[in-house]
Amino acid sequence: MKIAVVFSFAVLLSFSALAQSGPAKSCCSSLAASPTTKQQDLLETSIYQLDHQWKDQYNQPFQLVELKGKPVVMTMIFTHCEYACPMMVNDLKNIEVQLTKKHKDVEFVLISFDHLRDTPERLLEYAKAQGLGENWILLHGDAEQVKEISLVLDISYEQMENGAFAHANKKLVLDKEGTIVFELEGLQTKPKAILDALNKVL
Amino acid sequence: MLKPVETNINMSFKRIIWIIGVLLIGTKLPAQDEMKLIPAGSYKPFIKGATEKLVVEAFMLDKYAVTNADFLEFVKANPAWAPDKVKALFADPGYLSHWPEDYLGDKSLEANKAPVVNVSWFAANAYCKWKNKRLPTMHEWEYAALALPKGETDSASLTRINTDWYSRKTPQHAEVGSSYENQYGIWDMYGLIWEWVYDFNSVVSNDASRSSEEVVAGLFCGSASLNASDASDYASFIRFSYRGSLKGKYTTRNMGFRCAKSIN
Repeated sequence: MKIAVVFSFAVLLSFSALAQSGPAKSCCSSLAASPTTKQQDLLETSIYQLDHQWKDQYNQPFQLVELKGKPVVMTMIFTHCEYACPMMVNDLKNIEVQLTKKHKDVEFVLISFDHLRDTPERLLEYAKAQGLGENWILLHGDAEQVKEISLVLDISYEQMENGAFAHANKKLVLDKEGTIVFELEGLQTKPKAILDALNKVL
Repeated sequence: MLKPVETNINMSFKRIIWIIGVLLIGTKLPAQDEMKLIPAGSYKPFIKGATEKLVVEAFMLDKYAVTNADFLEFVKANPAWAPDKVKALFADPGYLSHWPEDYLGDKSLEANKAPVVNVSWFAANAYCKWKNKRLPTMHEWEYAALALPKGETDSASLTRINTDWYSRKTPQHAEVGSSYENQYGIWDMYGLIWEWVYDFNSVVSNDASRSSEEVVAGLFCGSASLNASDASDYASFIRFSYRGSLKGKYTTRNMGFRCAKSIN
């Protein structure tokens, strides 16, 4: 009984939080000045508005906006992860093997939670060990970048005392503009749902 | 930033320069910017179960939540965060929806000492960075909020403030500094608004090691262990569940923030 009361209160609370957000004051105005010219013509929903400087597995600077024009499958991992992340990467590989010529522009992007241990060098080792090809981009950034991208992707995570991360397992499909068009929670998911989503944004 | 210039100036002269500098900075700070020291310690996070104690390093925390007047200054200095300019990725349509249409010329907003609400995590984070501060972590916030009201020794006093507030409707927010001051000199940790924390999305509900059912069960175990004398856990439960329902771009009429700062 007590549980039910508490639960209903929590539900009520989350509803009232939603209901209370006021009406739209304004919408769809022109974009505010962006730091780079590349970013000026991004859609308001594009996650490429995050203009962080990442490092890829080749230790080259990388901005998300460089993905513009390509269909993207994105997720977050860390390479010391023993259980969930290998399964996640495996899920993505299972998608990759089903890609055909029309999917040639598809990029797989893995962003690391682990800003301390997942250096570009480490990411390259990992990519090699996992047999990830040229269409895979592994990104290293600082704690703030990781936090901001996690919030945009809505992927919860928490660093444990042993340095590992507990994290949500989510794959996202981004269209050529960098807008999230599909997301899938869980591990050992079948490739079909992601492939269907990709086919809509080619 | 003040940095001593490495020349051959003698020590006493250097010291005078420092003192003048500190005085100048001190007089420039409006009262709302005042921060208080939260001494190091440990606490038992609600979410972690009964046995784990978590160490919190000493840090500085804003005495008051950020007000509408404070946030107006931020928006003026950072037009990208204006209600009509903000990007949908970083704030939902409720962003600052309680502000008048012509907020720039609004004298009452300039003097409005009620906590700003209807702000997203991204906006709150940007504000704190602009102030050369940061959002407090969830553990820092929870730890600072455990301090009893000034002069109180009865832990029930805090619980009373908390549960009274949770059960009250607060359509209009009172000014900061109007609910209670705690033993660190921090105002209104409860009683006015809910507050963003840096890592609000750190309670993982869908990872491999803990299924979402287990996390929910964990929350409910906390709630199930409640009894009449321990309503503070009940309030924690509500806070943790609420945070779990948020996203970085959400804005609500009862959610504001205050900033923190690390001590080197």
